[in-house]
Amino acid sequence: MISYEFLTTQKIEKALNYLDKFGKVHILAGGTDLLVNLYKESPRLPEFDYLLDISNISELKFLTLVDNFIEIGPLVTHSRLINEPLIKNNFPVLTKAACSIGSTQIRNRGTIGGNIVNASPAADLLPPLIALRAEVELTSGKGKRVLSLEEFLAGPYKTKIQANELLTKIKIPLLGDNYYTDFQKIGRRKALSIARLNLALVTKIDEEGVFHDTRVAPGSATPYPQSLPETEKAIKGKSVYNIDLEEIGKVTSKEMVSITGERWSTPYKKPTIAVLIRRALKKIIEEVKTNE
Amino acid sequence: MNKITVTFIVNGTEVTLKVGPKERLLDTLREQLKLTGTKEGCSVGECGACTVILDGKAVSSCLILTGQIGGSEVLTIEGLETDGTLDPLQQAFIDYQAVQCGFCTPGMLMSAKALLIHNPHPSREEIKTALEGNLCRCTGYEQIIKAIESVVKK
Amino acid sequence: MKFNEVNKSIKRVDAYEKVTGKAKFAADLFFPNMLYGKVLRSKYPHARIVKINIEKALACPGVEAIITAADIPNNEFGVIVQNQQVLARQQVFYIGDGIAAVAAETKEAAAEAVELIEVEYKELPGIFDPEEAGEKDAPLIHSELENNQVVHHRLRKGDTEKGFAQAEVILEREYTTQFVEHGYIETESLVAVPHEHNTLVTIYGSIQNPFSCRNAVASVLKVPLNKVRIIQNHMGGSFGGKDEVMSSMAARAAILALKTDRPVKMVNTRDESILETYKRHPYKMKYKVGATKEGKLVAMEIKCLADSGAYACQTPFVTWRSVVQATGPYELPNVKTDTYGYYTNNVYTGAMRGYGSPQTIFAQESLMDELAEELKMTPMELRLKNIYHNNSITASGQKLDNHQVSLEEVINKAVEASNYKEKYREYSKSQSGDKKRGIGMAVSFRGCSLGAEATDAAGAIVAIQRDGSILISCGLAENGEGLKTVFTQIAAEELGVDIRRISYMEVDTSISPESGPTVASRSTLLGGNAVKNATHQLKETLADMIENKFKVKASKLVFKNENIYEKNKEQKIISFDEAVNLANQEGIFLSAYGWYKAPDISWDEEIGQGRPYFTYVYGCQIAEVEVDIATGQIEVLKMTAAHDVGRAINPACLKGQIYGGVMMGLGYGIMEEVETVNGYIKNTNFDEYLIPTVKDMPEISPVIVENPDPHGPYGAKSIGEPTLELGAPAIANAVAHATGKRIRHLPLNLERVLLGHSLSKGGTKNDILRIFNHSKNRKGSELLR
Repeated sequence: MISYEFLTTQKIEKALNYLDKFGKVHILAGGTDLLVNLYKESPRLPEFDYLLDISNISELKFLTLVDNFIEIGPLVTHSRLINEPLIKNNFPVLTKAACSIGSTQIRNRGTIGGNIVNASPAADLLPPLIALRAEVELTSGKGKRVLSLEEFLAGPYKTKIQANELLTKIKIPLLGDNYYTDFQKIGRRKALSIARLNLALVTKIDEEGVFHDTRVAPGSATPYPQSLPETEKAIKGKSVYNIDLEEIGKVTSKEMVSITGERWSTPYKKPTIAVLIRRALKKIIEEVKTNE
Repeated sequence: MNKITVTFIVNGTEVTLKVGPKERLLDTLREQLKLTGTKEGCSVGECGACTVILDGKAVSSCLILTGQIGGSEVLTIEGLETDGTLDPLQQAFIDYQAVQCGFCTPGMLMSAKALLIHNPHPSREEIKTALEGNLCRCTGYEQIIKAIESVVKK
Repeated sequence: MKFNEVNKSIKRVDAYEKVTGKAKFAADLFFPNMLYGKVLRSKYPHARIVKINIEKALACPGVEAIITAADIPNNEFGVIVQNQQVLARQQVFYIGDGIAAVAAETKEAAAEAVELIEVEYKELPGIFDPEEAGEKDAPLIHSELENNQVVHHRLRKGDTEKGFAQAEVILEREYTTQFVEHGYIETESLVAVPHEHNTLVTIYGSIQNPFSCRNAVASVLKVPLNKVRIIQNHMGGSFGGKDEVMSSMAARAAILALKTDRPVKMVNTRDESILETYKRHPYKMKYKVGATKEGKLVAMEIKCLADSGAYACQTPFVTWRSVVQATGPYELPNVKTDTYGYYTNNVYTGAMRGYGSPQTIFAQESLMDELAEELKMTPMELRLKNIYHNNSITASGQKLDNHQVSLEEVINKAVEASNYKEKYREYSKSQSGDKKRGIGMAVSFRGCSLGAEATDAAGAIVAIQRDGSILISCGLAENGEGLKTVFTQIAAEELGVDIRRISYMEVDTSISPESGPTVASRSTLLGGNAVKNATHQLKETLADMIENKFKVKASKLVFKNENIYEKNKEQKIISFDEAVNLANQEGIFLSAYGWYKAPDISWDEEIGQGRPYFTYVYGCQIAEVEVDIATGQIEVLKMTAAHDVGRAINPACLKGQIYGGVMMGLGYGIMEEVETVNGYIKNTNFDEYLIPTVKDMPEISPVIVENPDPHGPYGAKSIGEPTLELGAPAIANAVAHATGKRIRHLPLNLERVLLGHSLSKGGTKNDILRIFNHSKNRKGSELLR
């Protein structure tokens, strides 16, 4: 039977104090993952003596444009991500991914910070955030540090966050001109659906139709979300006129299996990840051709 | 485990309660406040039977600890009918046979209400999105959607 | 025929309390001094119980009582075979078997105490495949029995050997279906209150069959039936699922209540519900069909194997319906059908909406499409060539001569509403791209009510109060389907009064006449007739009184619009209220006990011939789908459902049954599956057991067909189950049409559609055990990715 003391605060400073003062503190934000794990007494939960509720810290709910970055507070909910013009206009791939999460009730409470720190292999926001080269800022009583999101993720349900740290900011660099994005997801039903497989694609396509700066990150495909450098390499330099989508698909399948090895789900995921990258590319190519 | 004192508003009335650290908003509503209209169907945020409106947004009360909501406003199914007059949504559910066993009904109504608060003229697709977290095993959903659409048309 | 109240979409009489949250379901009930009950369930699917130690648990603060099998006067119950344990005595037979039950002051205290109960098990090897269980030297699951066979039904018509010899085309196929969970949104809940209302124990609960529950509790407590009272609450759905599980829960709660002399509430969590309660039978089916080149069926041989799980439960009856209906509604001179049920150490199986029909219909309708393809006929052509018409003879030798056999009509109406012919042609052409469309149909006939399973009768009390308001009490229960409203409409129609005069009482076994279970889509048919019978008696009583008083012949009186008239006269003789007043003054008794017994049926067990059901309903559903052949995703675009219901007492409620049944059928077809591995259930909550959301809903086109049946009230017969049993095969046929590939297993999930077979997470038993040991109280398995 799990038991703990409940703490809540509206101030970052107080939260950091708690983290320093007490050992074994677990953070509660939106609760859409944690409370399910608590209810199930999931073996994934570490042992903890204190549950620190940070959901009322308004200092962590910002969403602003600063220089060439969009800075998002970790407590911004999925619903808010979906409705914010800053996100819709600059990172539609993130909007699309957020729309596919759970249900309205889940999206109204679930947070971008929670999605990141929970680090589920099937998380819907992680592939687009990785593809957008998001960075995370971690704050402790001792100061701040910034890592790329991809570096921050360390394993299934594992990140490099320290016991006395809070995730305090997500920074996403603005994409320049001529960037195209897409998000694909396969689920077993049309709502309240954990991704069987998903994939985010962000790429620049220049005036000649050539792919540059391509980023590909799948979800629910590898032990934890990460980018696919082989796939990215295979796409970069090709043009929308000569790219062989079948070939790219094969590269992606091969790359995924090289990371995961043959698992029970591989017979399904191997062909379908190829489908996802092909479809994402196809959609972007059509967009480019329409714009011409 | 120590109890926490929390003050919040339920259906327009302020309450101050002692709640346990594991006590969910669902438990507080049903057991301390005896507002049993909000139901527990799965305890993991998948069925929507526990849906209430928190600060204007539809949420699953099984995924909220009451200790988190000091200062907030909660609207439950019991708060929809005012002074003996049914909310148009409630009347529509009756008129369009959108109720069979009735267990998912409070959650459905709260999700629909939350939708119309922010979006008084939703499309059918938007209505479905608002309800996608509310499972129903009896009605097949169609008459529920028709009921909500009828309120939108007015 | 024109009616005032029936055949009208009257608003449900119980809607107000449901939309305001005022309707009290069992978990909403609070009694003074109430305790909370919780059950400790088995750690293994099959094990001997060596020792139970409840000392530590009893010492837990707040715990008032703990019971084990030793505290139970009569531990075995069952509707058909009495071998279901209330609590495990020496052995557990499946993972959900209860071992002990705790009553404590709070839910938390009860949960804590359950964790402190120490059980020493000796794990036993289990059998998890019914075929294995049926093998000659298979170890016995229930040691008091001779073998693991629960039942074997046979049906023999004509000579299949000769038939196959004459056939020009023969097809042999195997189909399988999965464990399915009822998935009612309200889990099992009840409160047992000791020594109330002059009874030993009163139980308020979400109980589908209050009388079966009473039987079980009384037999467990070893007391007469009148000492146990079951009062049915609002039910948050049942679909057949709240029968034996509720008897078991009621017995446990009753004993705890009597031991502590305090009310005891028991509410299952969703995980407990999926873990413990009986499921729909998975079937393995072998079909062999022979036909002429022109497409006339000549012979069919069928073998169905049902997994009964740990207990017999309803297996004998479920497999009986299968043996009667397994051929589908097709004329066949030669039939050989065998249906079997076997014990295994899987979760036990029982009644679920459809009751042995969804499985066989999946097989038979898939087979018909496969045969059509073989014969180069269209699915519709082949069916039209073989379906029943008036006076056709079924596989059981029954001549369908007492009602309109409307198969051709429902098929034609469904075909028209769905634009089937045009779409079939269009989708049969080659389609480019990954998204392929298809259209498929399925047809069925369904025997109404219980048939040869049990005595088929229902009673109703209609009591006119002194102020003209009316009470109805019937033993059939409102499961949420609208029974209260429909029966009220019938009574209002008969007595010619406003529906708002009438109040339909909750089923209370001490008051309501026992009317059999609310199952088999029999309520309107039997209960409706009982209500009609009662109101008929009241009308006669009032008519006689009016004849005496006003000298108008009783046979010329018409009850309508709240008044009583002489036929064809415009002026009323007397108002209903005045008539009631008069009756009161004259000391005339205005209550009537109506009774309706179903027409006789017959069944020869040896050869499966006779008149198994007294009437039938017919349905056709057509599914239009788009299959993403690259990912295996199925989008159901449209479902058309045409059902002959005899007469729709309440068309809006009826449509609700169609929408709901179609969605349940869709879930059965493409996404629902209780996954078991060596007896362990892996998906115990709604995050992993997927039922359709509103976004999965296709366009649904309901077509109500009415051919009034001579037996039903106003000609009404059945709707509840026919609407569910056709969705999966219609979708399977549509998917085969779209992809050119046939899948013979349900559900048609992503992997089956893409790869042709499912992938199992597997994992060794040790993996599963490790996970269960970590996750205390088995609140949920963890996804092995």
